[in-house]
Amino acid sequence: MQREEKQLEASLDSVLLKLNEIKSQLVAMLYKIDHERDSLQWPTFLDNFALLSGQFSAISKVLSHDKTPPIRNLTVLPLLLNPEREEELIRLTEGRVPAFTHDLVPDYLRTKPEPDVEHKLLQLEHKAASLSYDAAQKQAATFNKVITHVLDIVSKSREEWESEAGSRGGTGQTSSMSDTHSLVAAVGMGKGLKMMMPQPGAPMGPGMMVAPGGPGRTVAPVMPMGPGGQPMGMMGKTPSGIKTNIKAAAGIHPYR
Amino acid sequence: MSQDWGTPATTAFDSLTAALRSNIIPNQEYLLQGSVLDSAVEILLHRLRGLCDNVDSGPETFHDHEMCFSIRGNQNTPLLLRVRRALDYPDMPYQLRYIGQPEIGVGDKARPTIVRSSIDVACSSTVVEFLTEMGCRMDFEYISRGYMFRKGRMKILVSKIFKMSQGKPPDNGVEPISQSYLVELSILAPGGQDVIGEDMKAFAEQLKPLVQLEKIDYKRLPMAMAP
Repeated sequence: MQREEKQLEASLDSVLLKLNEIKSQLVAMLYKIDHERDSLQWPTFLDNFALLSGQFSAISKVLSHDKTPPIRNLTVLPLLLNPEREEELIRLTEGRVPAFTHDLVPDYLRTKPEPDVEHKLLQLEHKAASLSYDAAQKQAATFNKVITHVLDIVSKSREEWESEAGSRGGTGQTSSMSDTHSLVAAVGMGKGLKMMMPQPGAPMGPGMMVAPGGPGRTVAPVMPMGPGGQPMGMMGKTPSGIKTNIKAAAGIHPYR
Repeated sequence: MSQDWGTPATTAFDSLTAALRSNIIPNQEYLLQGSVLDSAVEILLHRLRGLCDNVDSGPETFHDHEMCFSIRGNQNTPLLLRVRRALDYPDMPYQLRYIGQPEIGVGDKARPTIVRSSIDVACSSTVVEFLTEMGCRMDFEYISRGYMFRKGRMKILVSKIFKMSQGKPPDNGVEPISQSYLVELSILAPGGQDVIGEDMKAFAEQLKPLVQLEKIDYKRLPMAMAP
């Protein structure tokens, strides 16, 4: 708690410092407009503006800093109003506010709403006052009913949504790493595709692939021959029994 | 002047070399891979329908048969060539494709996707015979059936991979490899455009946690995964 107060104090100090800088800048600018109107150059005037905007961005940076507590959440509360002239206050405000009075405070502390807001509020209050007690009661009841209904709808769909999300989280897995690996290895290297053929070559490839061409040529693709003319079989590891199988199978090709 | 008469206009090979040199040929594939369980594929398709370009027409389906051929030259590593044909459109040309090894170079760790060279050509159905005569042999083959989406120049494939079964035509009697769909996100582009990887990464983020799209080097997969 104490730490937060310290933080608030420190940030208020820095904001105050920046505000004072801006104020003196503004005063200097007004002075220039008043007294050096004839000799004032447009570029220097623009430079002044640039300086001001730089200071504004600096102050907004201070305000939006993480360590600055949100000042807008704090309220300024006038504890004592005094219609008499106060020298200390005049000195503090540089002669602008002579007394902390009832007509000045709402403007300075922003407790008074903006004029059009005030106007609207007045209208509404007037309307509310002109309504009979029963009618008002009835309207409030209707309003409550509608609100409850909306609340019901919202909470119901929230429930549905949450249960759906829960069930989805429950089923969880939608992909499997080992399946990914086996699929990639199969497509990439034929893992699991080559080994599964007890009769390699036999019915695959040629009959289906090479439609035209004489029967003698169709057999050609079946023979897994290495460049050296040796049967390569299954990566050269094939037992010789299978080798004979190839030929036998080629002989009884289903498509012939 | 007279010299111009004598020399032929630029040959096709010359213009190809020039194109290669100026780096305008989209011969690099940027790739991310992942998978989605069969039970969740509908959710993924739904999400992709919303995210991708072909919203109104819906996803394109495909049903392809792919064969991987290899030939051993002088090098130790065999050269791999893939032949792909559409089973649902038998009249379409076949596709022959070369895919290089994933690039392992400076900064590859930092790269968000796999980058590998990739060259496609259309060809006739006799390509299988041709390759065989050349001394290639078929390593393996599979059926891939699924959906294709586009988003800008990204291509997203959601496909089921099936084993070929013996003695039966490819249309029936096929057996899925796993209980998941393979999901691939890829772009073909000229080399050196590493911004693409960032785009793809951003898109992959949008599919999480449904699918984890990652750069997977299948050469370095743990062997325990093998069936």
